[in-house]
Amino acid sequence: MRLRPAGVLIVAVASAIVLATDRGAAHHAISAKFDDTKPITLNGIVTLVDWANPHVHVFVNVKDAKNQLLNWAVELESPIDLQQSGWNNDTLVPGDAITVQGISARNGSRQAWGRSIVVNATGRQVLNVKPMAPPVPLAPRPTPLWPDGQPRLGAVPGSDGYWAFPSSTVMVENGVKVDVDEYGLLKNVADAAKVAPMQPWALGLYQNRQRRFLQDDPTFVNCKPPGGPRQFQQRYGIQFMEDRARQRIFVLIGGGNRNFRIIYTDGRGQVGQVSGDDDNPLYYGRAVGKWEGSTFVTDTRGFNEDFWFTNGGLPHTDQLRLVERFTRVDLDTMRYEVTVEDAGAYTRPWSSGWTLRWVGGETLPVHFCQDNRP
Amino acid sequence: MRRLLIGLFALVVLAGAAAVAQEGHPLKGSWIGTWSGNTVHGNDVLLVLTWDGKNITGTINPGTDNMVIKNASLNPEGWVVHLEADAKDKSGAVVTYVLDGKIENLAMHNRGITGTWKSQRGSGQLKINRQ
Repeated sequence: MRLRPAGVLIVAVASAIVLATDRGAAHHAISAKFDDTKPITLNGIVTLVDWANPHVHVFVNVKDAKNQLLNWAVELESPIDLQQSGWNNDTLVPGDAITVQGISARNGSRQAWGRSIVVNATGRQVLNVKPMAPPVPLAPRPTPLWPDGQPRLGAVPGSDGYWAFPSSTVMVENGVKVDVDEYGLLKNVADAAKVAPMQPWALGLYQNRQRRFLQDDPTFVNCKPPGGPRQFQQRYGIQFMEDRARQRIFVLIGGGNRNFRIIYTDGRGQVGQVSGDDDNPLYYGRAVGKWEGSTFVTDTRGFNEDFWFTNGGLPHTDQLRLVERFTRVDLDTMRYEVTVEDAGAYTRPWSSGWTLRWVGGETLPVHFCQDNRP
Repeated sequence: MRRLLIGLFALVVLAGAAAVAQEGHPLKGSWIGTWSGNTVHGNDVLLVLTWDGKNITGTINPGTDNMVIKNASLNPEGWVVHLEADAKDKSGAVVTYVLDGKIENLAMHNRGITGTWKSQRGSGQLKINRQ
């Protein structure tokens, strides 16, 4: 495909907007580990910059009130976010004297979430990862199609792209209004019952997770995959790979452990990804899908109970069934709708939905949840 | 000890699928511990519990005593657990066990239940942990 100059300009502007946009929430709920009501200022000498996923850590030697030298760990955003904000190998080096402002760890350990880092010698602020508005689409571009007229979920041949920037990173029942942050943490736990029609035990468990600031999230604690609708609310997006020859669609997950889900489109029944897997439930379940007009509809069952299927910790059981509908409204917009059926945890089926934005010209960011690192 | 070993074998055979369940219903899974002072069925106890969406069901000491849970409840207010099961002693007489306790460390996959057990033949402390 050749673009005329005007087309090149539009794509360039759109790409710039996308690249300049914050990806939303951090790998884990900051409040799960750090207390927003406990600000802290650290003055000290950098001893190490640990540049690794999912979070960069800067270690700093700080003198306490007794003039004793103590080593603090300052947790920052991911390497991807820091790089995009302008960090490089020289931004901070061991020996630099810095002033850190942030919030303290809930457990009283010598850890802080960094919100500001200033190099004392120059007065330069080096931490500039700031939330920005979501990408604003230019004039709607037509949905790319296969030769037979079926919408493409992924990129056209010769190009790249993935889906990110969900319009919501929180899953609540359609029509419900609750005050909740981007990690799924309710401002008021008393609103928990409004979020979804939970059975009493599930509501109690959800409230418990909320009161513990989501600190037990297996995706955060143990790098467990973000199965279920959560995969479409991940910070680093998802990518569809449509393998028409083999009649299956791969959903590559940008965050977590960079794992993938298979959706079979060959008309098979609910027989799954592993032969005879009735006793081998999966993080992403057993998924089959088909096209209904311009909407791709999946039916997924066979989930295990080893993960949280939403940000915020809504419970589920192995009875969970998801019916998901993907509609590529235009080139840049994917509408995602999901109906949750789980008689083990909910009193009735319920639905939710959001949209995803197309990030053209790029592949999924390289971001791993490594070695159960915090 | 032999009872426990047989029970553990049964656990492996019967409860393999439940072993991965950590984030669903808090009672689902296999629980091992003691009901101390139980002179009829031994000091060690194994429970395999599940949740079908409406009822908590399961077995105490599967493979050996095979006491089927006949009544069970979990109250999320305080995570209070109540279990009842019938067994037989060596003479064939029915012994009804009533276990009452509270889930501790709810968020952990190896959460525990601490409480009491009682039957017509005695009573004592119950302490079990999810495996």
